[in-house]
Amino acid sequence: MHISDGVLPISVTVGCYVASAALVAWSARRTRNEELPKLAVMTAAFFVASLVHVPFGPTSVHLIIPGLTGALLGPSAFLSIGLGLLLQSLLFQFGGLTALGANALMMGLPALACGWFFQRYKGRTQLRQAFVGGLAGAAGTALAAIILAILLVAGGEDFFGVAKIALLAHIPVIIVEGVVSAFTIGFLTRVKPALLQTSFLRQTKAAHG
Amino acid sequence: MADVINIQMPLWQLLLLLLIPLAAITIMVVWLRRVAYKHSAPEEKRDWSVPPLADGSGTSLLHCWDVRCKIVTILVCSFAIASLSHLEPALVAIGVSLIILVVARVSFAKVLLRLLAITGFVCMFLVVMPFSVPAHNGDTVLVFNGMDWLGFNLRGLRLAATIAAKAIAIAVLMEPLLSTAPLPVTLHGLSRLGAPEMVGQMVLLSYRYLHVFRHEAWRMSSGMQVRGFRKRTDLATLRAVGNFIGMLFVRSFERTERVFDAMRARGYRGRFPEPAELRLRTRDLLLAAVWLTAGAALIAYDRIAW
Amino acid sequence: MHEPLRPIQKPTLDASLFSMRRVFYRYPDDIQALSCIDLDIAGGDRIALVGQNGSGKTTLIKQLCGLLLPTAGEVLYKGEQLKGEHLDRNRLEIGLLFQDPDDQLFSHTLLDDTAFGPRHQGLSRQDAEQTARKSLQRVNLLDMAYKAPHNLSFGQKKRAALAGLLAMQPNVLLLDEPTSNLDPHQEEVFLNLLRDFSGTLICISHNLIFLYELCDRAVVLDRGRIQHDYTLRELVSQRQSLREHGLDFSFRLVHTASSCDLAQSKPLDELHRTPTLPDVSEGKSLVFLRDYHYRYPDGTLALHGINLSIQDGERISIVGENGAGKTTLLSCLLGLRQGLGEFHFAGRLMTRRWRKTLWRRVGMVFQDCADQLFCPSVREEITFGLHQLGYSRDESRKRLTQVLAMVCLEGFEERVPLHLSGGERKRLALACVLAMEPKLLILDEPTAGLDPQGEELLLDILCNLDVTLLLVSHDMFFVNKLTRRTLVMHRGRILEDMPTHAFLQDERLGNLNELSYTYRRRSRSAILTMQHEHEHSHLHQHLHTHQHRHGEVEHDHFHEHVHEHTHRFAHIHPEDEKNHDHMPRRYHDHDHPGYEVEDHDHDYPGHENETDDHH
Repeated sequence: MHISDGVLPISVTVGCYVASAALVAWSARRTRNEELPKLAVMTAAFFVASLVHVPFGPTSVHLIIPGLTGALLGPSAFLSIGLGLLLQSLLFQFGGLTALGANALMMGLPALACGWFFQRYKGRTQLRQAFVGGLAGAAGTALAAIILAILLVAGGEDFFGVAKIALLAHIPVIIVEGVVSAFTIGFLTRVKPALLQTSFLRQTKAAHG
Repeated sequence: MADVINIQMPLWQLLLLLLIPLAAITIMVVWLRRVAYKHSAPEEKRDWSVPPLADGSGTSLLHCWDVRCKIVTILVCSFAIASLSHLEPALVAIGVSLIILVVARVSFAKVLLRLLAITGFVCMFLVVMPFSVPAHNGDTVLVFNGMDWLGFNLRGLRLAATIAAKAIAIAVLMEPLLSTAPLPVTLHGLSRLGAPEMVGQMVLLSYRYLHVFRHEAWRMSSGMQVRGFRKRTDLATLRAVGNFIGMLFVRSFERTERVFDAMRARGYRGRFPEPAELRLRTRDLLLAAVWLTAGAALIAYDRIAW
Repeated sequence: MHEPLRPIQKPTLDASLFSMRRVFYRYPDDIQALSCIDLDIAGGDRIALVGQNGSGKTTLIKQLCGLLLPTAGEVLYKGEQLKGEHLDRNRLEIGLLFQDPDDQLFSHTLLDDTAFGPRHQGLSRQDAEQTARKSLQRVNLLDMAYKAPHNLSFGQKKRAALAGLLAMQPNVLLLDEPTSNLDPHQEEVFLNLLRDFSGTLICISHNLIFLYELCDRAVVLDRGRIQHDYTLRELVSQRQSLREHGLDFSFRLVHTASSCDLAQSKPLDELHRTPTLPDVSEGKSLVFLRDYHYRYPDGTLALHGINLSIQDGERISIVGENGAGKTTLLSCLLGLRQGLGEFHFAGRLMTRRWRKTLWRRVGMVFQDCADQLFCPSVREEITFGLHQLGYSRDESRKRLTQVLAMVCLEGFEERVPLHLSGGERKRLALACVLAMEPKLLILDEPTAGLDPQGEELLLDILCNLDVTLLLVSHDMFFVNKLTRRTLVMHRGRILEDMPTHAFLQDERLGNLNELSYTYRRRSRSAILTMQHEHEHSHLHQHLHTHQHRHGEVEHDHFHEHVHEHTHRFAHIHPEDEKNHDHMPRRYHDHDHPGYEVEDHDHDYPGHENETDDHH
């Protein structure tokens, strides 16, 4: 779920912009300068993954994957998400530029938190990694929903109802997201564990000399 | 201050109030979507040996406006619109955006797609807010069949309508900003305004590989379909989707490495070459000034008139 | 046993452009990719780098353009080590063409992309654009200059990638599989472009016929080591050594060439047959299409009045240029797309509802198996389809072992599909489809990216299958081996529907269809001439060890003596001469059964270590 333009009060909008600009700057500093193109290409992959729809009963939900992004990209995740949102608002007709800051915070903060959580607790066994990955995936979406609700509530008590509905609407996404993330992480632990080392952008670089 | 005004209404009028607009919106959306897709299909026959927008369509005022002025003006205007808090100025803002749209002569179908993308979110507001907004003094609440808990607050409707109007006005503004210059030029303008050059290049790269990965994902999903995969609500589907995403990441990661190699092999060392240089003319600034005045007037109207 | 006989004349240091000195390379995940590579490349060399999949060819090429630095040893370019500043300066003279052009076309428009290199060489914007336009002109893509790369066809992308390199006016071109996935016409276009290139050229390919036309020196890699370094003519003429490196592509030469000969003798008109409307007895045929059309959402007509009937058990190939509509036809047959017109499968009209069940009876092996393999283990990969079919656990297990045996992958159950080699992955994809026991098996370019050994194995498996087969391929050898009927597609239509043998003899079709098989035929016969071998007998010397006596002393040691007996070796027949030259040319290895008992003179004085010219 993205926030569209004109929903948030102007003070919140600007505040979010400032906060996410700072986080983007931090995230960019944590990524090596030369490797930024790589991050751009990976962003495209995350973008495509977020277009996947999964049926849930009579409706279908589409994945948001902040948790997975964080688990795979680590500190660079915020930059990647910001980029993805910019791309979406520029080219895919969704979301104007004014809500960009709020949306980046909504997706990026959970990504950072879950990335840290995953790296901290992933352990060594495949099963545990998949489990922790699933938790991170679910938590990512849950956090995103909570931040969305908080941002909405910042608009005053008139928005309480909308915030509640938005939270409820995310419950199926949280479940689906958690399970899919667990399977994805499980797949990666078996097939390409190198991807789960957060600083993977850095490691491969070293190999290239 | 008056108390909450309760107006009693029979239940069927609720249906009238809700279902008919909803049905109307749905039908509109479906019809508009069809129209939009039909008109946004790529025309293959065009001559690709000349730059896009150089073929006569790009003669409007906005097309020859300096891109930096354009970005600043439209961004400032968007924020101005976002800061409106009353319905009437917001409606005026839609009017202004539409005028700009006509001046810029951009593709109407693309604007429609943009509008369609926000319908879901906006509709949620239109439906939820009238019922969820707490009743204040001076509010008019429609109560159906004496069910007090289901009061339809007109103030809520007005609030939601304001939000919707602002969203539409801004969404309409985006199209003249983006389609009156090729994307690289717009992004370059952004970088000349202080954003790092790398941001623009990264957007372009992502955009380029988005297409590649989408195509790859499409082929993979048809590979799954050929083997009988149908999405259902069960664990097997989620497992398959999890594998699918994992595979997508692995392939993209490998491609990322190759792309990076290809860039290095052609001399990339952390910097992209500079694209076209820009020239600022008085005319550009004049246009920006006029426009920004309009934005300021809108805010003034919003703040003073109410 | 065979030795690299004629060590290439080591060029003096200043003459050689590249020289690799005892280069080792180990990947971070501990795979030894290159060991002890010594290689000198002179300016103007045209080198074919060949070897099985996974023999380290791509790694070697990456060393040459500085993308990878050796773990040990050194790579010199123009006499200096290729790293640091020297690398930065010289990298721009070395162009690397990737296998997948999408990796290389990373800019927004073709013009930008082509100008990327020149801009980094320090040219101004205008000059770079000028250069870019020139090189786009060279590859015949100038009219697409402002198009985004994702809107190009595969062949166009490939040429665009080459234009990006040519714009940099490189000294050296490194090419990784330049012809994979190209149709023969595009391949010839590409060949001509590369022929015009005057600098040094190093080309990886499994397409030895293409290499034969382009290169003159061959370097054979095997498990990270250089096994041979000789002329390309020598490489292709020695079947024995080709076979040892899994490169023997000559199994492809024999049959087609003979049918080529036939072509000249038969009148062409007789073979020509326009496609007739299939008889309406659709009840009997497995697939029946009448007046079938397909239009893409954007309005392009991809299939145009297709009439086709496939009988149960038939083996059919579809040939046609890239973009002829072959893949679209396949996805219609698979039920992935719905066109207009009649489509009956096994007698039933495929309506929207029935179309969704086609997967149960039609199976397809995709061109790129990465599109088909997405599970973390071979077992899950194969049982995925069985699960959809509703097989029980026991049945699936049984089926799993069966199909793995069919494709020679026994014991691979727990392996990760992504970590398998190209040939194994291809066979796994085939197994996944076969496990579901399709009535109609569709193969889309099964040979793409396989080395000759992998191809031969795949061919064996496919020959023994008992299904209705639909093969889409540019590979005339596979078409000939596997199918009896050929459909020629061109611009969304079926132009011809004829027996495969007749198609192969029809020279005219190549031009009609923008497919040029002629150059391949020409090279094919040239190679065949070189590979010509037959038994003959002449005197030659052998090195043997066995017990013998010198007067009083009885002992054994290596010694040489002369015999005469028949044996086989490859040699050239000069134009039509019946009694051709069997003069001693080079050392060649052959059996000499029964040499122990053969009578010969052991008192021959010069038998110790002398090495005469071997026959």
